[in-house]
Amino acid sequence: MTTHTIIVTGAGGVGKTTISAALAVALAATGLKTLVLTIDPAKRLADALGIEHIGDEPQRVEGADNMWAAMLDVSASWEAIIYRYAEPEVGDRLLVNPYFRAIADRFPAAQAYAAGERMAEYIESHQYDVLIVDTPPSGGGIDFFTAPARTGDLVSGKLLKWLTGSRIPGRSVLFRFTAKPMLKVADTVLGGPMLSDVADFLLDLSTMYASLSARSRTMERYLQQATTLIATTADPTPMHETKRFFRELSGISIRPAGIIFNRTLPLDWVQAATKPIRGVPDPDLRARARLNLRTWATEAQRQGDASAELSARYGAVMHRIGLVSPPPTTVDELRGMIEETDLVKELTEDRTP
Amino acid sequence: MVMTSTRLIFITGKGGTGKSAVTAAMATARARRGESVLAIDMASSPGLAAHLGSRPLTYEPIEVRDGLFAMTIDRAAALDEYLKLQLHVPRGAPTKQIAAALSVLAETAPGVREIISIGKPLYETWKGTWDTVVVDASSLGQFQSYMRAPRTIAQLVPTGAVRRQASTMETTLSDDDVTSVIIVSNPAELPVNETIESIDVLTTENLCPIPRVVMNRVLDISGIDASRLDELPQGAVRDAASLQIHLEDDQAIWLDTIDFMASLPYLAGVFTPQEISLQLSDVIGAIV
Repeated sequence: MTTHTIIVTGAGGVGKTTISAALAVALAATGLKTLVLTIDPAKRLADALGIEHIGDEPQRVEGADNMWAAMLDVSASWEAIIYRYAEPEVGDRLLVNPYFRAIADRFPAAQAYAAGERMAEYIESHQYDVLIVDTPPSGGGIDFFTAPARTGDLVSGKLLKWLTGSRIPGRSVLFRFTAKPMLKVADTVLGGPMLSDVADFLLDLSTMYASLSARSRTMERYLQQATTLIATTADPTPMHETKRFFRELSGISIRPAGIIFNRTLPLDWVQAATKPIRGVPDPDLRARARLNLRTWATEAQRQGDASAELSARYGAVMHRIGLVSPPPTTVDELRGMIEETDLVKELTEDRTP
Repeated sequence: MVMTSTRLIFITGKGGTGKSAVTAAMATARARRGESVLAIDMASSPGLAAHLGSRPLTYEPIEVRDGLFAMTIDRAAALDEYLKLQLHVPRGAPTKQIAAALSVLAETAPGVREIISIGKPLYETWKGTWDTVVVDASSLGQFQSYMRAPRTIAQLVPTGAVRRQASTMETTLSDDDVTSVIIVSNPAELPVNETIESIDVLTTENLCPIPRVVMNRVLDISGIDASRLDELPQGAVRDAASLQIHLEDDQAIWLDTIDFMASLPYLAGVFTPQEISLQLSDVIGAIV
């Protein structure tokens, strides 16, 4: 079967993971076989989905028919990537190499690339009608879309070329390079054989270049075919990141299908807050209730302004999800979050097979 | 060991908790007291500049108000300075090649990029010309890598200038007369749990002085009793009161889960980043 991929992206802290899970529950409820790939869910949410441990193997979600959930395991994903694209003995060498560990731990796009690779594998398994991908927060979420290209850069041998002056050198070239007198001085200042270790590592990495860059192009195509939704709130940082998404995604031929404005308050609170409260005899309770509504009305006003700005600027379809407290912790509460929006209708009608 | 009277304050926290706002507020509050303050953006986000109401920051510090300067870490410039001022690369040495070699290492070897970046706040602290250096120090995981960098380097290279410099850095970073670490959190599940985990890592590995927590976005208590909700008229008034009570209950759980040295208010309806940090600086000025 063909899988409809839905990517939920946005700044950190806006509720991407919860929204992804809620969307999956709601779509599965329409009878579509749905898988959600989550990144780092809060414990309450992981409990609701019944995924206690990270793992690539999708787990059935209790209480929701047709629904599966998986949690991204970055280091297992990278191990799989290495053995898929490198010769076995090169793979063995890379995995114990401290530089590789450092890159996999710290390269900001490493998590994003691992998520992209997982996404591609699930799409190619042809097991699901719908795949929902929660995105890692690095780079405000944009890394997920640029990781394929950037990972290509990393292993393309640019650094290696500088170190050796040759594109794909053999080990003999490497030997001559480490014997260069100027680099001996560098090694003395830096202390130790770091540079030759790094060169060894880069040489191994570059053997994966051709297959990794072919894979990157496939991943880019999946990203372009997917439905991308940007989650935001009215806070300054998410607003800034949302604008950045529209600017930068257009550069890589991705047009967001809509904005999910999370944690919204009813707009009619703005009007209601201007009116006196009647029928509450206790003046203390009346004053407190009035102050409370006024406070939230200023927040509703701010959200209205922020949402209007995004609509006007990008003509984006806006889906509002109300603020709920405490956050949803059951499958039913998750579905409830989405039911008040027209997201399910839009996402299912959009696609004619 | 380097003697200095400058205070070095790192501010870190989970993404979205308000690190940059708190950094800007802290810097502003101290400048208002007459201190000379340098605020450094290590998170390479536009957040700090926005909260200071400044044009985009550069490596060259710009004065954003009386006594308060701000800058951002530019890696090429930081590398250049690190070589000249910290490694004291000798005259006649192939500086260009060493710089190029270091920038390759910064992309690949663990700890090298971090040591170069964190070298700047440390250098500014050692200079002794500022009363306070406040650092907007990126997310918790990244911050741990920065604090761990001197040791990572020590494991990687047995000798040499980089190694020697890393030991000096480690001494200052763990000196609680100079360095302090503030973790910004919010009264919600993920931020609180990540804060607890991070304090555990930082203290178990003894990476820095014991971090203190600033709880940001704490709702004022409305004083509306849940049992009296049905005395309120149906509609907006009751719905808003009900929402507030639920939020207060959920918040109470997380405030009880962790100790914090200060709490900052949730600012409903505040529009610009600069307004946020100015309001927070009033609160911070009174408590810190």
